[in-house]
Amino acid sequence: MAKSRINNVLRNEWRVLVSEPTTILLFTLVPLMILAEAMVAIWLVANIGGEAMAANSFFQDTLDRLVTSYPGAVDLSGIDRVKLLLLNQLNFFVLLIPTMVAIYAGAYGIVEEKVSRSLEPLLATPVRTWELLLGKALAGFLPAIVITWVCAAIGLLAVYILGWGYLIPEYINVLWFVNFFLIAPALALLSFMLGIIGSSRARDHRSAQNMVLFIIFPVFVLIALQMTGMLWFTPTLIIVLGFALCVVDVLVLRIAVRIFQRESIVVRWR
Amino acid sequence: MAVVEAHRLTRNFGGLTAVEDLSLEMSEGEVLAFLGPNGAGKTTTIRMLSGIISPTTGYAVVDGRRTGENVERLHEIIGLLTETPGFYDALNARQNLEYFAGFYDGLNVDRQIEKYLKITGLWERRDGKVGTFSKGMKQRLALARALLHEPKIIFLDEPTAALDPEAAREVREMIKTLSGEGRTVFISTHNLAEAEELCNRIAVVQTHLLALDTPAGLRQRLFRRQVVVQMDGLPESITELVKGLPFVRDAESSENRLVVELNDPENNRPELIKHIVEAGGRIMAVSEQQHSLEEVYMSLMRENSEYG
Repeated sequence: MAKSRINNVLRNEWRVLVSEPTTILLFTLVPLMILAEAMVAIWLVANIGGEAMAANSFFQDTLDRLVTSYPGAVDLSGIDRVKLLLLNQLNFFVLLIPTMVAIYAGAYGIVEEKVSRSLEPLLATPVRTWELLLGKALAGFLPAIVITWVCAAIGLLAVYILGWGYLIPEYINVLWFVNFFLIAPALALLSFMLGIIGSSRARDHRSAQNMVLFIIFPVFVLIALQMTGMLWFTPTLIIVLGFALCVVDVLVLRIAVRIFQRESIVVRWR
Repeated sequence: MAVVEAHRLTRNFGGLTAVEDLSLEMSEGEVLAFLGPNGAGKTTTIRMLSGIISPTTGYAVVDGRRTGENVERLHEIIGLLTETPGFYDALNARQNLEYFAGFYDGLNVDRQIEKYLKITGLWERRDGKVGTFSKGMKQRLALARALLHEPKIIFLDEPTAALDPEAAREVREMIKTLSGEGRTVFISTHNLAEAEELCNRIAVVQTHLLALDTPAGLRQRLFRRQVVVQMDGLPESITELVKGLPFVRDAESSENRLVVELNDPENNRPELIKHIVEAGGRIMAVSEQQHSLEEVYMSLMRENSEYG
């Protein structure tokens, strides 16, 4: 019966989400725009400044480190190494998508209930609070992951279209798999839970949307750190990061469960 | 047998006491009005009785079980109409009800939705988005939602607040139907006429319970029964005569109206009339002084502020 109640929550969350035009745009157009923007930026950098980057001593250290993640890069030309470096950044850039979608779904799911005042009648039904939380989590998590994977697939297609298909065997390695099958789901879950926690204080949709901007900031920091060579994610480091995220997920999940109690929702959430 | 019991329920929010030492019982099929001003603790009491929040001290028993013990089981047998309807405006009436009905085991969702949308007069609007509904329609839809699973105990928090007179009347008719079906109904309201019209007993609250009785019982407790004698001219001598009668506790006159408080109104009334007529008084009408529930309520509130 718990399963059917969770499905019930999931189905309703999606019904409510798709009834909101902003959400449909956020779940479709915005991920595609993020991906397109990243691909255009990569193409422009490679074609306009790629040769200069390959020759510039500032990037030499980063390009040398590339070999630790992509051993085949040792046989690539300078410009191809730059292209591979840029594709490596794409991995992180695409992580913005699950973060953004999941946090929006989490925050929106709660704020919508607050605005419509539907939480109290909902809590007067036999639904358990964990079933409600899990249903909502899945409603944000599943689209976030599916959209991310679809974008990852479109990204690969774009790499072919750009004429860089010969780099794909090197590009799709353990980093790519860990990024999309461990980091992205862990980040989506974390973002969703942060959305829930944050939205327990948010009063309207706008403040929920503002939280998206606040929480995706660390992902930008990761991109910047790697691009400037201040931090390099080797396969080992990325796996460690993935598992560390899972641990953080568990901790944040416990906080979210504690906040998401029948009494707290009715008495403290405003 | 009591189906709802509150035993010394108290609920504090920080330093504020919303409900204090409240005890009451409701028997099966009873309709009880919970009457009090805004901030009297009516919603908090409903939330405690329906297991949504727990009391700071004391406990409640609903249908033989403590409310905090198995909340999910409790929610299968109660229906709650919250103070605000609380729907997803972007979804239609049927989708909203489908969602809430989806949490109850073994419910024939389609049949129940059809039944209650028809009863509430919303069947024709089942595919209309709730955001386009009037307050009255939303309230009726909320009532349908509270009844979908055929609860035996129903808590209604301000069911007619903010409704226009016609919508309020429709909701009251529905409550009468529920009462006729033998369901136990707990109505929180500050509408005195509604309480008197719908309920067997009335509990007057102001954080704590001030009085609990039938409307007639409350009147009797607060005001003695008085006989009003309308005269065609009222000489002072008749007033003095009446005041001197052994079974008269008190008598007051104003213009041609004599208000008399009797020891035993049923038996003393003919005697009183006889004495007045014998003294030459011309009686136009005799009636009993009626105290409205509002007077009862105001008197209780005054008493509470004076002695509370």
